[in-house]
Amino acid sequence: MNIKSSILLRVRVAFLLVVLFAGAVVYRIFYLQRIQGDKWNKMAEQISLRYLPVKATRGNIYSDNGSLLATSLPFFKVAFDPSQPSDELLKKNLDSLTYLLSRTFKDNSAKEYRRRILEARKDKRQYLLLSRAEINYQQKKKIMEWPVFREGRNKGGIIFEKVEKRYHPFSTLGYRTIGSVDETEKGTVGLEYSFNNQLGGIDGKALFQKMAGSWRPVFDGTEVKAKDGLDIETTIDVNLQDVAESALLAALSDHNADYGSVVLMEVKTGEIKAMSNLSKNPEGNYWERYNYAVGSQGAVEPGSTFKLASMMALLEETDLKLTDTVQTGNGEYKFYNQVMKDHKPGGYGTITVKQMFESSSNIGIAKLVVEHFGKKPSEFIDFVKEMGVGQPLGFQMAGEGKPYIKSPSDSSWSGISLPWISHGYELKLTPLQTLTMFNAVANDGKMITPIIVRSVRKADKVVEEFEPRVINKRICSKETLANLRELLEGVVERGTASNINGTHYKIAGKTGTAKKYVNGKYVNQYYASFAGYFPADAPKYSCIVVIDNPKNYRIYGSDVAAPVFKEIADKIYSQDIDVHKEYRPAVAYQTEVFPVVRAGFLPELSMICNEFGVSNHEMADDEEWVKTRLVGKSIGWTANKVKEGLVPDVAGMTLRDALFVLENAGLKVRIEGDGRVESQSRMAGTRVSEGSEIKIKLG
Amino acid sequence: MRTRRLSLTSNQFDWLAVSLYFLLVLLGWLNIYAAVYDDELGASIFDFSINSGRQLIWISTSVLIILVISIIDFRFYDSFAFIVLGVIVVMLVSVLIFGSEVKGSKSWFGIGAFGIQPSEFAKFATALALAKFLSQPTIKFEKISTQLMSLGIIAVPAALILLQGDTGTAMVFACFIIVLYREGLSPVFFIIGFAFVLLFILTLLVNKLVLIIGLLTLGLLAAALSGRNIKKIGVVIVSTVFMFGFVQSVDFIMNKVLKPHQQKRVMQLIDPNADPLGAGWQVTQSKIAIGSGGLFGKGYLQGTQTKFDFVPDQSTDNIFCTVGEEHGWFGGLILIAAFLALLLRITQLAERQKSKFARVYGYGVASILFFHFAFNIAMTIGLFPVIGIPLPFFSYGGSSLWAFTILLFIFLKLDAHRMQIFTRS
Repeated sequence: MNIKSSILLRVRVAFLLVVLFAGAVVYRIFYLQRIQGDKWNKMAEQISLRYLPVKATRGNIYSDNGSLLATSLPFFKVAFDPSQPSDELLKKNLDSLTYLLSRTFKDNSAKEYRRRILEARKDKRQYLLLSRAEINYQQKKKIMEWPVFREGRNKGGIIFEKVEKRYHPFSTLGYRTIGSVDETEKGTVGLEYSFNNQLGGIDGKALFQKMAGSWRPVFDGTEVKAKDGLDIETTIDVNLQDVAESALLAALSDHNADYGSVVLMEVKTGEIKAMSNLSKNPEGNYWERYNYAVGSQGAVEPGSTFKLASMMALLEETDLKLTDTVQTGNGEYKFYNQVMKDHKPGGYGTITVKQMFESSSNIGIAKLVVEHFGKKPSEFIDFVKEMGVGQPLGFQMAGEGKPYIKSPSDSSWSGISLPWISHGYELKLTPLQTLTMFNAVANDGKMITPIIVRSVRKADKVVEEFEPRVINKRICSKETLANLRELLEGVVERGTASNINGTHYKIAGKTGTAKKYVNGKYVNQYYASFAGYFPADAPKYSCIVVIDNPKNYRIYGSDVAAPVFKEIADKIYSQDIDVHKEYRPAVAYQTEVFPVVRAGFLPELSMICNEFGVSNHEMADDEEWVKTRLVGKSIGWTANKVKEGLVPDVAGMTLRDALFVLENAGLKVRIEGDGRVESQSRMAGTRVSEGSEIKIKLG
Repeated sequence: MRTRRLSLTSNQFDWLAVSLYFLLVLLGWLNIYAAVYDDELGASIFDFSINSGRQLIWISTSVLIILVISIIDFRFYDSFAFIVLGVIVVMLVSVLIFGSEVKGSKSWFGIGAFGIQPSEFAKFATALALAKFLSQPTIKFEKISTQLMSLGIIAVPAALILLQGDTGTAMVFACFIIVLYREGLSPVFFIIGFAFVLLFILTLLVNKLVLIIGLLTLGLLAAALSGRNIKKIGVVIVSTVFMFGFVQSVDFIMNKVLKPHQQKRVMQLIDPNADPLGAGWQVTQSKIAIGSGGLFGKGYLQGTQTKFDFVPDQSTDNIFCTVGEEHGWFGGLILIAAFLALLLRITQLAERQKSKFARVYGYGVASILFFHFAFNIAMTIGLFPVIGIPLPFFSYGGSSLWAFTILLFIFLKLDAHRMQIFTRS
């Protein structure tokens, strides 16, 4: 009895504690909700109201003639306001609508869509995302034809949310130079990165409220409008870029090289017309991964192309003449304990300075430099640096590789430094920096920085303009310059690059084949290059080709890099009338004459006409893509229907519009020329097979 | 007489407990859906890509488990109690070696996309073993050796779980004190434990000097009251000195014994505004969620605070927030009432057991459920530091649902056969 009551007591005490605790919990919740309720409610409201960014439209990147290199195209997310349609409308069409939704998005069954729409409607919700998929403009148009949705935003409740995506009309052409953006549309590499501030614009913000499950805008007047990004006009010539890229790619594949770069520069203006970098990926394909022409990974020992600088120092600072002779011996020569070799077995013997340069004798140039500057090496180094080599260019693209030229004050300077520097070792230059030096020789001694962005624009207004900086007005005397040009021409005529001789215009340049320095020693891997300019008589373009670690027997700059140079030069020479004729006839723009309007996007065209006070009217109902017809003194818009599955008619459109229409029709577009579309390779109205190509000619 | 016998031995699960179990599981499932509900996607509750869909798998497998338990002979649990614990201990050791680390705790066995948490199953195994030990006919609970042995059975799995870094689950094992109390453990242990917790909190709240003076006064008062009884005065002096020592060592415990995140959680409880975006974040968020629910809540799926990631672990440890926000004070009340009813029913069932084994095990079940229920809710409403234990039957999670199902239904199975015990002993 006593034991039983003791146990019962214990049980009761234990359970009392439990109940007490439960009571405490219930009270605590009551306290939180009733007594402190306002406080928590207010906090809840605070965190459910929030300013969220409104994306600015990113600016475009244009080529030198206004072709689009990168642009942002609109895509759409589809949502639905189930409270809008009338009962009758919904009842009649819900089955077909949900069937279409299910078939198009494949996210849910028709039944599930039906359930969700009806439930959301019952709950008086005003927003229901139908799919996370992003659809293109063409699909958007199709959806707008669907039952219920065709009644529009107000009666039909359809909501399209615009999302922008970066698009490159020329696909991978110049991909690394143009650069790319991340998923937040922030530039990650290339020009997209270097000019991200200008391109990106300034995001606006607007107040959003968190409803059960989604953020919805609250239009309370405090929103800050997004400032769209500015456009940048580059100096890239799409055709030349294409030429450079395909020539480089062919050579890299032939020689099984690790990477290669080509930079093509307009001599007078410093404008980069083409910049291509291809490197081999693990699968063995070449693609644009790193900008070796500009970046720090591309700053390496250039080899013999640097002999141009050594020669310049010799001719300018000493009384050396091209006809003087130099003993190069049997092809091996010892500087202290280091043996320097010429690449011709047995050596060149006694040759003139000119022959020495043309045949690229290392011993010759080293002996001359040591003979003249051996006692005062700093004079040689100072000359090179004052001439303008060895300083960063301050190039417009971020991440320029820092040049380095060893000087006597460096702790690593040794007795063999000077002779090795003289033929391009113990120093580091990027291809672009080497090219800048060659360009200066072509540009009558005026050294200017290369540029790749000509201007930053807001539509047609120039916001900021860039001009090349003059590094050195005159790198050397006229006589020296004439001698140097003679030497560079000789390299192609008789010297190491005679394999590319025989063009009906002249090429001048210098080959380079540097041994690569890997893990602390020079190995049998090579860095082949050719830098020069053409036409040699009246230089228009300078160009550098570098090919890293070619592995198929041929390794010399003359064999590997020079042919790429020639291929590019040949193509340019045959295409570019400017090379033949020195001026371009200015396009005669007449003032107060209405700009050509032939075809395009109606809202934009009519806006232009209205701005200019040109009377215009629609002759077709509710069309977006139109052609023009002159009706007396005004313009009439006639339908230019874009039909699914048929090739659209883009004649007369701007490239931007034409690309938009054609790409949306599922065609791959190839572009020729600039201006408005003159002709298209597939006739309008014929059937499109998915992924087929169309060529459009602009003019 | 014959019919009565039949009804007594018809071996039915207690229908009330079973209904309460299914009620809680169903409500839990609905609330898990609410916790992960994304308006934009509008995924259905059956969608296997979200937690509610997956919980449905756990629920149906739990039903299978119930079937298996009802098939297995009830004597199995008694006979194999120690072996079950042995297996679990081996698993606990091997998870320390082979397990994968999730959120700082090395307590999961990864099997494909799913994980198994042995520590969840250690609870019912310990309850079984403890029951088996105490029900041996030769055992007298009054003996110190028995009490120590009992503590050992509890401490081994708890220590292993503590080693895994799962402090919350390890603390659950403290609930077996309630079982031992029922079997005759002196209430002094409770009082001492409670006093230490109180002192610990007071030390953090009150100036140490003030506290020591207070303790001294209390000690003198107690000594004066105990008259001339030397023994009592001795106890008072010893305990006062001991408390001094404890007060002095609180700093040491705070800084050296507790890990930084645990320190923060304790401090957070004492001053919720000290670090509202850091350690206090979780508690503040769950308080906002519950606090904004009001008396009747915002309605099913209409909650805003428990959506997105405002409240962390919203479908597992913090599932109560969803209840508080969407169903308000009444919703919370109903949930707590359902839990209390289940606990009450289990204690009733435990008391009617004829065998000591079933009774002790029943108390074990009730204690474990109570501990989970009390401390889970207490931590979401800021009454207790965040220790990360699930709400039984309610929280999302396969291991925990399975383990609680096994825990409860073994007891219900034993209860169904309570009349047959006579034939055995």
